[in-house]
Amino acid sequence: MAYGLPLKADGDEKCLSILHAVEETVSRQLKACKAPLSKRRVIEDIEPLQTNLNLEEGFCRAVLCRLRFRKHFYHVLTCMRRPQGKGLELAKKHILSCLSELDSMLKSEELLRQNCACGTLENGVEDKTTASGCQPIGFDSMLNSRSAAPTPPRAIKLLSWKKAVNYFQKLLHDLEIICSYSLDPVYENALRFVVDFQKFQPDLVARAYIQLLLVQNGKLYGRETMFAVICKAALLPEGAKNHDIQKNETVAQLGQLLITLLRILCTNTAWQRRKLGKILQDWRIIYVQLELAFRKEFGDITSTSIEQNVCLKICKHILVWVEEQTYWIALRFLLLGFELELYSTSEYCMVYWYIYVILIKLAEKTHLKIMLGSDSSRRKSRKKRDFVKDVGKDYQIPPAVLLLQCYIYVAEGLMMMLASLRNENKSFLCVGPFNSEHERFIQHFELLQKACLPDLASYFSFRETTAHARFSTLSMYNCFKDAQRVAKELRGNFSNNPEKLAELRQIEQVAEHNSVALNLLSRLGALEPSLKISFEFTHHQHFAVAVVKRS
Amino acid sequence: MEEGKAEFDPSEIEYVSYGGEHHLPLIMNLVDQELSEPYSIFTYRYFVYLWPNLSFLAFHKGKCVGTVVCKMGDHRHTFRGYIAMLVVLSPYRGRGIATELVTRSIKVMMDSGCEEVTLEAEVTNKGALALYGRLGFIRAKRLFRYYLNGVDAFRLKLLFPRPETNYPESRIATRDEPPGLDDGMPPEENIVP
Repeated sequence: MAYGLPLKADGDEKCLSILHAVEETVSRQLKACKAPLSKRRVIEDIEPLQTNLNLEEGFCRAVLCRLRFRKHFYHVLTCMRRPQGKGLELAKKHILSCLSELDSMLKSEELLRQNCACGTLENGVEDKTTASGCQPIGFDSMLNSRSAAPTPPRAIKLLSWKKAVNYFQKLLHDLEIICSYSLDPVYENALRFVVDFQKFQPDLVARAYIQLLLVQNGKLYGRETMFAVICKAALLPEGAKNHDIQKNETVAQLGQLLITLLRILCTNTAWQRRKLGKILQDWRIIYVQLELAFRKEFGDITSTSIEQNVCLKICKHILVWVEEQTYWIALRFLLLGFELELYSTSEYCMVYWYIYVILIKLAEKTHLKIMLGSDSSRRKSRKKRDFVKDVGKDYQIPPAVLLLQCYIYVAEGLMMMLASLRNENKSFLCVGPFNSEHERFIQHFELLQKACLPDLASYFSFRETTAHARFSTLSMYNCFKDAQRVAKELRGNFSNNPEKLAELRQIEQVAEHNSVALNLLSRLGALEPSLKISFEFTHHQHFAVAVVKRS
Repeated sequence: MEEGKAEFDPSEIEYVSYGGEHHLPLIMNLVDQELSEPYSIFTYRYFVYLWPNLSFLAFHKGKCVGTVVCKMGDHRHTFRGYIAMLVVLSPYRGRGIATELVTRSIKVMMDSGCEEVTLEAEVTNKGALALYGRLGFIRAKRLFRYYLNGVDAFRLKLLFPRPETNYPESRIATRDEPPGLDDGMPPEENIVP
């Protein structure tokens, strides 16, 4: 539809002015052919678009909606490129106009097809690259295949007209989501937005625009410095973002790592997973470097109480946050494996084991971060002697940590159920003539192991954890029940957050279905060899549900 | 295009190593006929001239019904085997011919000191993915829109056991004992000949 139409980023006035001029001409033609015969007059400078005057109105409309689509699409792209998201509202309006023009194009298809100059169309009209089904004038869509060498790679097949329209509809839908984003300055919410956006499987153009929006001139949305983002994410007080510690070279490198992470999260999930795996070591290294740098500048952090020095508080918060982020990246790496269908069922046990150990560390670091943040704000508002009493009396595990706990229960339950199936039913074994489960473990988790995430996690510890799993063990059953219980309790905490409520509902469904399956397997599994067990992702894209059927 | 399934006993299939130029047209005809992206003769010669011991053909009553073409070499400090083409005529599929062809190539790679074997397969090619999965390949990566028709590919990898990482209870061939009762034999001795 827009074959090679060059659009320059910063004001391609020639493009717009040409579109305006042609639109003006065709609009006048449309007006003229709509006028009643008695009032119609010949306008010398307007030529009909085609020879059948009865169809002229339809053809004018068809051309106009195409011209207007291009104009609005151009405006969408240029508005979205404005710095700091300033053009997003206007871009949304142009998106709506684009979608309206696309609808008009679809409506024009019947007229154009019935009255095409190329005669009766044969079967295969669905593959045609124009609405009328005729070859585009002055353009040969197969030219590149004729000029290419007669060896692979072959020519790429162009999208049919219908598919091209659908492509733009999808693209505009994705761009609209970006334009509706509130530019939330909270880092976790920005992460969440980008991760959730990937569920729409956005195209390269949409992903490029979200990357452009997130990071501009080394700042989040072009507004917040990375150090300010980190301070806020690490639950430091507002004033911390102005501290001179940001001039430290290692702290600046941390900012760069964060920019890289945000950019990686905007890439296609296949590439994203590979890159996330590779940066794990960078995040581990930066933690060690930060610790050394802080120690060099401010002395031994661990032996000095936090209250004595604001700098030491910042260091401690940042270090905990870096660890939390590292485990978040590791978790994302593992979960993406399910989305990309990289794991076979015989590997689910080890994958859920690894997810389980990573989630435990993530929950630990998140909890520590929140406690440090609460500690800071409590000490501000209370006298020192009341602090200890308050911590003991009022303390509740934060909802964010409890949510992670739900996932820990589900991962543990799945791991143990799969291990029991392997140990008792000999199902889903990882065997082959050339290697064993150990080699598969090494390959799948090589990058995590290289980064020591977590420390001491190994194939040995995986086998030790799962070697004695049996259906009869009650703790397995309690895992799914515990997940349901905690998820239910959390509903109150997220009553104003429909997305979180939906997430809790998914957890409950996964836990419930697996509980039922586990109960069935515990009672019948060993007695009924005809039972067929499969794992399906019907309620959650990362946490499977066991389906038990009679074969 | 042949229709229906061929009737044969697996013992009737004869497997031979690439023996020379006379085998080249057989391989080319099979691959050109069955695979979506036919190659030039230079591509075939690259593989079979440099690594003739890694290419195998399957014959049924004198007719070539399957072939595998591979190579091996250093790749980023890893000595690695690569499966370039694997084809079996449609009427002969589902009877283990592809498995046997690939297994023979992998054994030669293993004996030649390869540390791993790799290949790419379309994410929609369920048959190939099942075949390689049974042989111990994992899906190491997904390659976005790898093929020109827009389909993604999996990079499949098989890692051979390394002596220094031998976990005592690693098991290679199928066994009936539950984990924890392994006799501690090193992985190499468990490989089915």
